[in-house]
Amino acid sequence: MGIMREKKSPSSSATSPCAHLRTAYHNCFNRWYAEKFLKGEWNKQECVSEWEKYRECLSQHLDDKHLSRFLEAEGIIDFTNQAEYKNPTGVSN
Amino acid sequence: MVRAYSQEHTYKHPWERVTAASWRKFADPENKRTLSHILEVDTLNHKLDPSSGKLYTTRAITIHAPGPWFVRKIIGQDICHCVESTVVNAQSRSMQLATRNISLQKFIEVEEKIRYEPHPANPIDWTICKQETSIRIKPLSTLASMAEKIEQRCVDRFQQNSAKGREVMERICKYLEAESRGISLRS
Repeated sequence: MGIMREKKSPSSSATSPCAHLRTAYHNCFNRWYAEKFLKGEWNKQECVSEWEKYRECLSQHLDDKHLSRFLEAEGIIDFTNQAEYKNPTGVSN
Repeated sequence: MVRAYSQEHTYKHPWERVTAASWRKFADPENKRTLSHILEVDTLNHKLDPSSGKLYTTRAITIHAPGPWFVRKIIGQDICHCVESTVVNAQSRSMQLATRNISLQKFIEVEEKIRYEPHPANPIDWTICKQETSIRIKPLSTLASMAEKIEQRCVDRFQQNSAKGREVMERICKYLEAESRGISLRS
């Protein structure tokens, strides 16, 4: 993401302060997905501390009003207490 | 007015590798140049169901979608937020993604569904990707008269971007393949 684009659309970089925490979480997730989840070890979710740090940062920086209002209304996200997962697009499997 | 189209693509890589690539598609920094319309992808929620081996994930995707000047003027922004829900079933080897826009819903509704499943002709080594996209311009929107044109532009843009997405997916699959070879050579 270049400086030009960030200038053009400032809200796009709303969660950028969390970029390093996001990367740490992604790296952990990708490893867990390939090495554990795909191999049948799906009894335990890992990367919990990476996820909590990233989520904490997101809750402070997800300041796009429209986005957070929508997400709260849909019950997708609730930073005050851990919301139950709710599928907003009706994917069922 | 609804435009819908579907696409199919065969990846000559196993399902496990293709779905791992799908998670990396927006996250790897080296893909940022190809998928420059994707500004941010953040994971909002995830849940693992340990009894069934299903993984549910919700992500927010911020897309840069510059339109003609009059659209920008009416809408007042050139970025669009989407929500993507993913279900991976490790037991049955299926991955489903559904993405829809949450901004600009007054004007347009875009929904994209992608399924990755083992290819019936070669379920161990190949993966089939089925993609369905529907684009609907709201008939009562202020853009109604221009809607037809805009709809076509959206379809064009989506098709361009999904071609870019496939290109990135193929590249990550190759990378993961090389990586797994490297590991098995060392062991």
